[in-house]
Amino acid sequence: MIADGPRPVAIQGGPLPEILLPTNCPGCGVGLQVEELREHNYVCPGCGHHFRIAAEVWIPLMADGGSWNERWADVRSHDLLNWKVPKPYQEVVEQLLEEGLNEAVRTGTCTLAGHPIWLAAFDFGFVGGTLSIVAGERLARGMEQAAASHVPYVLVTASGGARMQEGVLALMQMAKVNAAVGRLHAAGVPFFSVLTDPTFGGTAASLALLGDINIAEPGAAIGFTGPRVIKQATYADLPPGFQSAEFQLAHGQIDVVLPRTEIRPLLARLLEMHA
Amino acid sequence: MSAREEMTPNPLSVWQVIELARHQDRPYSLDYFRRLAPDFIELHGDRLSADDPALVAGVGTFHSRTTVFLGHQKGRSLKERVARNWGMMHPEGYRKAIRLAHHAAKFGFPIISLIDTPGAYPGAGAEERGIAAAIAQAIMEWFRIPVPIVAAVIGEGGSGGALGMGVADRVIMLENAIYSVASPEAAASIVWRDNSRKVEAAEQLQLTSRDLIAMGVVEEVVPEPEGSASADYDAAACALDEALQRHLAPLLSQSVEQLLQHRYDRFRYIDSLIHAEPHFGPKID
Repeated sequence: MIADGPRPVAIQGGPLPEILLPTNCPGCGVGLQVEELREHNYVCPGCGHHFRIAAEVWIPLMADGGSWNERWADVRSHDLLNWKVPKPYQEVVEQLLEEGLNEAVRTGTCTLAGHPIWLAAFDFGFVGGTLSIVAGERLARGMEQAAASHVPYVLVTASGGARMQEGVLALMQMAKVNAAVGRLHAAGVPFFSVLTDPTFGGTAASLALLGDINIAEPGAAIGFTGPRVIKQATYADLPPGFQSAEFQLAHGQIDVVLPRTEIRPLLARLLEMHA
Repeated sequence: MSAREEMTPNPLSVWQVIELARHQDRPYSLDYFRRLAPDFIELHGDRLSADDPALVAGVGTFHSRTTVFLGHQKGRSLKERVARNWGMMHPEGYRKAIRLAHHAAKFGFPIISLIDTPGAYPGAGAEERGIAAAIAQAIMEWFRIPVPIVAAVIGEGGSGGALGMGVADRVIMLENAIYSVASPEAAASIVWRDNSRKVEAAEQLQLTSRDLIAMGVVEEVVPEPEGSASADYDAAACALDEALQRHLAPLLSQSVEQLLQHRYDRFRYIDSLIHAEPHFGPKID
């Protein structure tokens, strides 16, 4: 008897919120149909261009409808270094909070196709998705709880690296979160990392590439040093596709490159297999 | 000096400290190793593909105990700087460090790590060979190494490239060393998109030893001899030797469980150790 194939899993857990979009696709130039795009997880059905999406989109995309329980949303960034130029850091943070963004990482528990998980999603819109004390704290607390309660951990990254305005304390978050990733691994808890455009610097050099399985969106830029800085430092011409998800796949850092519409079904299967 | 108030006011500007930290006459890791452990034997290679000359490593006798030494090594002449890649490690360097950390673990040797790097190498080859993952794996692995580790920032502590060698039970810092999330040039390039604003960036970043001890990121600032470490290698090494031994000694009697739990807690709560200025502080609820 042939075993049944995997049950089909919806490409999103619930309806996604609307996001600001250009009138035409930057990939192929066609006029965008907002509703169609929203149903395709903000991937252009014509050319496959992946629009950058915030944590508020990733959460309903991953989490089964009604299952999301956000944690530590009230943990807030403060200006620890008295950072004044070119803009006072405290003002930057307060303005972003007013705009409805809540730090560079949001985390909580939910189910994905019925599997309980911890989910953390970076928000590139919040100071470039930079790893900050609050981001590190939310990540570390979630991982510690996931390790203790044996619940799989799913991460979605989009980050420029560590946050300059929190100085060396932001750098220290790399150690803090990696220590917590070590706890996940020691506890035998699955850790699936989804890398989206862009994932660089201190985020790439800490938790993003430490997944048991690393999944990346097509064309996502992933690396340590940004191409502009590499060119400045070495005068090297970088080949096309340098630091793309496909480049990282070819160089052994990524397990699977998959369109956004197939990521949730893949995670559902992986959760099933690693249960 | 273990507290900010015990330090005399520093007459140097932040940029002058950075110039001292980067000075080509400043003692480098090998200058210290030869003084801390005159019988130091250098060991090479990551056992995978290469040896990274930006990281020197080996074994030596430190206070009558065999110790694994690791340290970034810059060069003084142009030829040596090129050979050492200005102390900027490639992925092979982090793999070499972890290979020797496992060596230390096998034989129960403590580890001394000296940090002196502008950062990991920002080049295409490093990216192709997985510099981000090499640093990430090293940082994670340090938390599992079951022997005492003391790190000292002796010159430049630049970014993730420095942190990849800086996960330790105690982290100390020479008086005129710096430790930063990014070099002032890189920070200026990121924040202003203009790396000529490096002096302003440096002043914002709070990267001197005074700032670092105030933030609780290092346990101790080791005073340098008159005229900085560059002026008297023996005196600088002597002060470093005394501080390293003082921090290492109590770690040697700890159980592995205590040691690893303390190392975890040290970095887990590092941002809540801030204890100096009123505008610093753990403001996380």
